[in-house]
Amino acid sequence: MSDSIFSEEELRFEIIRVMKTLYDKGLVSALGGNVSARIPGSDSIWITPSGVFKGDLKPDDLIKISLDGDVIEGFMRPSVEWPMHTAIYRVRPDINAVIHAHNPITTGLALAGIELKPITVEAVVTLRSVPVVPFAYPGTDELAKLVAERVKGVRALILQNHGVVALGYNLVEAEAIVETLEEVAITQLVAILVSGGREPPTIPEKDRELVSRLYLR
Amino acid sequence: MDEWYGYTGRIARVNLSDGKISIEEVKAEYLDLVLGGVGLASLILFMEVDPRIDAFAPSNKLVFAVGPLTGTMVPGSSRAVVVGRSPLTLGWGESHLGGFWGVELKRAGFDALVIEGESDNPVYIYVDDGRVELRDASSLWGLKTSETEESIASELGDSEVKVACIGPAGEKLVRYASIVSGERVAGRTGLGAVMGSKRLKAVAVRGRYQVKVRWPDKLRSMVARLYPSIMSFPTIQILSSYGTNGEMDSFYQYGDVPIKNFTEGEWDGIAKIEGQYMVEHYLKRHRACFGCPVGCWKEARVEDPRYGLIEGRMPEYESAASLGSLLLNDDPASLIYMEKICNDYGFDVISAGVTIAWAIECFEKGLIKIEDTGGLQLRWGDPLLIVDLLKLIGERVGFGYMLGEGCRLASMKIGRGSEKYAMHVKGLEVPMHDPRAFNGMGLQYATSNRGACHLQGLVMRIEQGERVPDLKIYRRFYRFEVEGKGWLVATMQDWHHVLESLGLCKFVQIPPGHVAGFYLLATGIEKRLPDLQKCGERISNIQRLFNVVAGVTASDDTLPDRFLSEPLKEGGAKGHIVELKPMLDEYYKCRGWDDRGMPTREKLEELSMLGIVEARLKSLGVNIWS
Repeated sequence: MSDSIFSEEELRFEIIRVMKTLYDKGLVSALGGNVSARIPGSDSIWITPSGVFKGDLKPDDLIKISLDGDVIEGFMRPSVEWPMHTAIYRVRPDINAVIHAHNPITTGLALAGIELKPITVEAVVTLRSVPVVPFAYPGTDELAKLVAERVKGVRALILQNHGVVALGYNLVEAEAIVETLEEVAITQLVAILVSGGREPPTIPEKDRELVSRLYLR
Repeated sequence: MDEWYGYTGRIARVNLSDGKISIEEVKAEYLDLVLGGVGLASLILFMEVDPRIDAFAPSNKLVFAVGPLTGTMVPGSSRAVVVGRSPLTLGWGESHLGGFWGVELKRAGFDALVIEGESDNPVYIYVDDGRVELRDASSLWGLKTSETEESIASELGDSEVKVACIGPAGEKLVRYASIVSGERVAGRTGLGAVMGSKRLKAVAVRGRYQVKVRWPDKLRSMVARLYPSIMSFPTIQILSSYGTNGEMDSFYQYGDVPIKNFTEGEWDGIAKIEGQYMVEHYLKRHRACFGCPVGCWKEARVEDPRYGLIEGRMPEYESAASLGSLLLNDDPASLIYMEKICNDYGFDVISAGVTIAWAIECFEKGLIKIEDTGGLQLRWGDPLLIVDLLKLIGERVGFGYMLGEGCRLASMKIGRGSEKYAMHVKGLEVPMHDPRAFNGMGLQYATSNRGACHLQGLVMRIEQGERVPDLKIYRRFYRFEVEGKGWLVATMQDWHHVLESLGLCKFVQIPPGHVAGFYLLATGIEKRLPDLQKCGERISNIQRLFNVVAGVTASDDTLPDRFLSEPLKEGGAKGHIVELKPMLDEYYKCRGWDDRGMPTREKLEELSMLGIVEARLKSLGVNIWS
């Protein structure tokens, strides 16, 4: 499956736009976070570069790589997280965009051992289940393997001590998932803090039932 | 090639025997195979010099070269290399130079300078914006390196000229004589003595051309935006603040710092010779090579009643250890003075320190007698004695004559079992990282083409926990681990050949994935990372083949017995020896070499080198596969 709405050239601009939006919202940092998109109808992806300031990328900075990590086009070094991106594309043919962001509140809650709860409709419908991937060193095959093992049937994952991963049929969807993760995490954090640590009420089970029936997880 | 970018496309060839000078176009197929810098220099040497000759024969050549990134805006792009048959290793000889000389050669319009023959009288080569001439150096013969540089600048009336020269040690054929340029030193393998044998005092270079790159705006943008990540490497801040010696304390914790000729693992003197102490007490100013954001180069100033006022280069880690801990010398002021002696006379501090350590240990054991030393009582921890010995080496007189042979030849000449205490591999004295602290370093020493070399691979960085995903070094390699080290060492050696072919410094630590981009933007030539790695592998094989023809065999891929059988009794490497054999077997296998350590036809075919190698071996009348 592929997203044929955008040409390859437009896809690169779209990656830049997404990166800039996430940077402006504080969801990727100066040097942290990466975005990729599968090239329509191919086994290649465009991915953001490693070690470059993320708030001001240019289309020229992106790198086209194969799913084996071979550089096909571009002069920058691909994000060190390319093994994780390509591992996701391999096991999820329905996915054409992957974003690894550094959502501070989502990651902070995970560090505190607090799971995201079905506290809003978005949390129920958009996020559903969000597995936490145990820590593995960034850029390693080990991390790619841990993610690939947990990525089936989900739209987002939390990387312990590291950030989040959001998937989408296209970049807009993946971007929406990243923002939703943080929105839910902030809402949950506010509820916990303002209530003095009380567990926030969740959407009742019967109302979550439809989503449960519609989706695998 | 219609137009060159990154490369200049030109080589200058100087024959000192007949004074003939020619300018040649670089063979593009050479650059495609092995890039510039050490790659180009290695291939030229392999194709033009019979490895079996005497290093001091006129038919030996010296090839100076710079890389396509030398002198560009890429951080750390200051490097030049010189290769030739070594009088110390009696095989491959190679040394590297930072500072500004290489950039000047590039700006003068050359990728390489090939020096052949032998002059009757002392001469120096003057390269000036594409012109090359030979000039009389009779008045310079006998001068120390700093005096030589000043005299040439004065004679040419040009304070900007960059001079790479030899001192008295090179003239007197000290087998580890260095080539010095403005406090930066091409120290290892004695190529300064080859210059001396050719009566070549110096190569002075002045260049005013702009180094041309293919896409300057893109390159500038890429470089500018990578600084935050390049400067994030943890060692960079230490190197910037204290120089390479800033890491001595950390190395010591690993049991890596050699003490008393590699016999002990603990020593209190470290605190007075490590980088932070030295900088806090003796720093004159910080310096940096061309285009370097790190600046590990420091200048020192000390006033001491024994040595007077000394101003010169602050000892780097290798100097501080080889003339300090290795000899139990904890006098920091003396180290600054000794560094100056070594650089002024022009010889390698590592080889000098290790050879002196050998002599002291042998004297202590009664293997070297007072008749051998000219009446000197050799003992540990005596800075005044070390100063005297260094001057004797520089002048090549008295016991200094023997020490100037390097520890391998000196121990063979002295005999009496002293060979056991000579710490060298293939004749090159072991640098200041005890391989019992890092197994991989042991394999690296054993297999580096120029002998015991810590820089061709720097595998201990990986064994300290660094990962290099771009080179598929994903997992952590523990320092006492054996499995995987053969692959790791080969991978890192090849990669360092790439950096040295491009003209980049290893201490700036640009991630490999970006290096291919720099190459593309500078040269306009597309070579992806695996292509560059392949170039590095070719260089390893070419140098190995040179050594094979020179008579180096698998039995030379070893370590001093001390590292293989004598564990240290204390310190961070206590109880460990180097488990060389299994690592070496894996190394040969990864390299595609046979069990004699010979590159196979199949491997050379895979590297697209079989044709060129077979033709060369045939012209030498050698069949290594028979």
